[in-house]
Amino acid sequence: MLRFENVQKRFPDGTEAIRNITLHVPQGQFCVVLGPSGAGKSTLLRMLNGLSRPTQGSVYLGNELISDQSVQQLRKKVATVHQQFNLTPRMSVALNVLSGALPQVSHWRAALCLFPAELRAKACRLLDEVGLTPEHLNRRVSELSGGQQQRVGIARAFMMDPAVLLADEPVASLDPRISRGILELLHRQSRNHNTTVLCSLHQPDLARAFGDRIIAVNQGRLVFDGTPDQLTDTVCEALYHGALNRGHDTSAALSAACEPELAVA
Amino acid sequence: MNNLSVNRDAKWHLNQPYNARHLVIAILAFILLAVTGSRMEVPRMVSETAQGLGYVVGLNEESAVATGVKRIAASIWPLRISEEIEVSRIEGFDPNKLPWLSHVEVIETRTPHLNTDTLQLEETIEHKEVLVKPLGYLMHVLLKMLETLEMALWGTLLAVVLSIPLACFAASNYAPNRFVYNLSRSTISLFRAIPELVSALFLVLAFGFGPIAGFLALGIHSAGFLGKFYAEDIENADRGPQEALQSIGAGQVKTLWYGVLPQVLPQYIAYTLYILDRNIRMATVIGIVGAGGIGLELKGRFDMFNFDHVGTILLIIFLTVIVLDQFSARLRSRLM
Ligand SMILES: Nc1ncnc2c1ncn2[C@@H]1O[C@H](COP(=O)(O)OP(=O)(O)O)[C@@H](O)[C@H]1O
Ligand SMILES: [Mg+2]
Repeated sequence: MLRFENVQKRFPDGTEAIRNITLHVPQGQFCVVLGPSGAGKSTLLRMLNGLSRPTQGSVYLGNELISDQSVQQLRKKVATVHQQFNLTPRMSVALNVLSGALPQVSHWRAALCLFPAELRAKACRLLDEVGLTPEHLNRRVSELSGGQQQRVGIARAFMMDPAVLLADEPVASLDPRISRGILELLHRQSRNHNTTVLCSLHQPDLARAFGDRIIAVNQGRLVFDGTPDQLTDTVCEALYHGALNRGHDTSAALSAACEPELAVA
Repeated sequence: MNNLSVNRDAKWHLNQPYNARHLVIAILAFILLAVTGSRMEVPRMVSETAQGLGYVVGLNEESAVATGVKRIAASIWPLRISEEIEVSRIEGFDPNKLPWLSHVEVIETRTPHLNTDTLQLEETIEHKEVLVKPLGYLMHVLLKMLETLEMALWGTLLAVVLSIPLACFAASNYAPNRFVYNLSRSTISLFRAIPELVSALFLVLAFGFGPIAGFLALGIHSAGFLGKFYAEDIENADRGPQEALQSIGAGQVKTLWYGVLPQVLPQYIAYTLYILDRNIRMATVIGIVGAGGIGLELKGRFDMFNFDHVGTILLIIFLTVIVLDQFSARLRSRLM
């Protein structure tokens, strides 16, 4: 479903955010991308919705190459759940969810906020699924708690029946106590809608609990790829210890630590 | 181990906050002020104002400023409220159907002239019938004030309509390309650079005397302000929501509408109210160059030395500005 082939990303300032990653995520998989801050998780995810372009290599969605010509079309199949929720403040919960279907709505309807009945019904159904109540519909999102805002963000993401869902640290700005609930919701929703998920996290325990598969990146390299069981504490140790030291031998230490599991294609 | 005292033998200096450079700057500033002050006749202003004040407290016998002020004050009061029109000048006058609140008076005018036969001064007495409207002039001024407010309203509407597209093209993150961006930026600067009174002068030549020139001039100038403010707000709006909509392929227009507008709307309303406020003040004087509104009336009366009329006009302007100030302050606090 998702394919990265020898992808590299070098920012104009010379930062090598992604170094030669090849990865294939099959249809319907819940794949967790694990890695410390600055590892390149966001950059990796952003290459799938075209907010970032690889400097080398190619990214495929389904069987289509993501390119300048195809990106606008392909974006409609990809939804994103953001770390900072990225909802429009001062706009109602209802309009925020409906705005997830904007590509399907004509300009004049969008301008007058006249969404078709089936989209309005869908928005209500999704808000119900994420655990909000009808009283929330007309509230401004800025009046909701962080957890509720992320629920609105998840409802918005499913408005267009996405084939792929990108979740970039969806719980990083939330209270740890409610992180589990949000991830459970994300997991359940993607199962029910048969969505392929690429979800970045930095907590190994959450990764083990929700991922069908876990990949780990560090300093732009893919350093681990395996099942939750294969992500042992030793591997985690190496991953985060390496990140703290940022020494030259980090990658070597890490490769040594996860040698048995290392399954880079 | 004492990490805090590593720099024990470093030399510390704490200088006075001023040095020779500041003295030079101060002297230069003083020279500059002295030169422009003499060009502005500041000394004469000071001496004449002092004389005027002296006259008020009874120190001097006379003062040019005080005399001028007194003369104007004397001719302003009483304010002109009523209006008198000679009946013979009113077409199809019907004494049985007088306008509301008005009555007819007969006025006697005596004109002295020299009888060339007797060489004596004689008086001819003429009787004129005039229609007196007790509140006529006040009404006239109020209508002119209404026209002024309407000019300000339409000027502001025009500014909003012009500046929204300009602002979208002048926001670096929504401009379709560099050329359009620079073009709309410079259009906005140009609009802001032309003072209303100057553009009104030319617009009066094009559209004739009246409110059209007035509100066009106001609209163009304030579009320059609104365009700049709106564009800066679009650029500074939180990128998160915009990225969220862009990443699902919503397109620029819808992203602006759903990702930017709700964020900037309160600011936009505040700017627009401010511009409306400013346009009302400006509309009262723009008529001086012939562009309609109360300024046209003011200028006409001033040129005819009808200071009692001028007094009424100034009073109405003053009251309107005070009332609007209260009103817009309240509206703004309601919206914020
Ligand atoms: N726009 C950018 N320009 C330059 N460097 C960037 C940019 N975005 C991210 N980076 C750098 O790329 C690296 C990976 O960043 P990111 O993908 O955001 O990491 P993560 O999401 O895992 O924390 C970091 O070193 C970061 O500083
Ligand atoms: Mg990130």
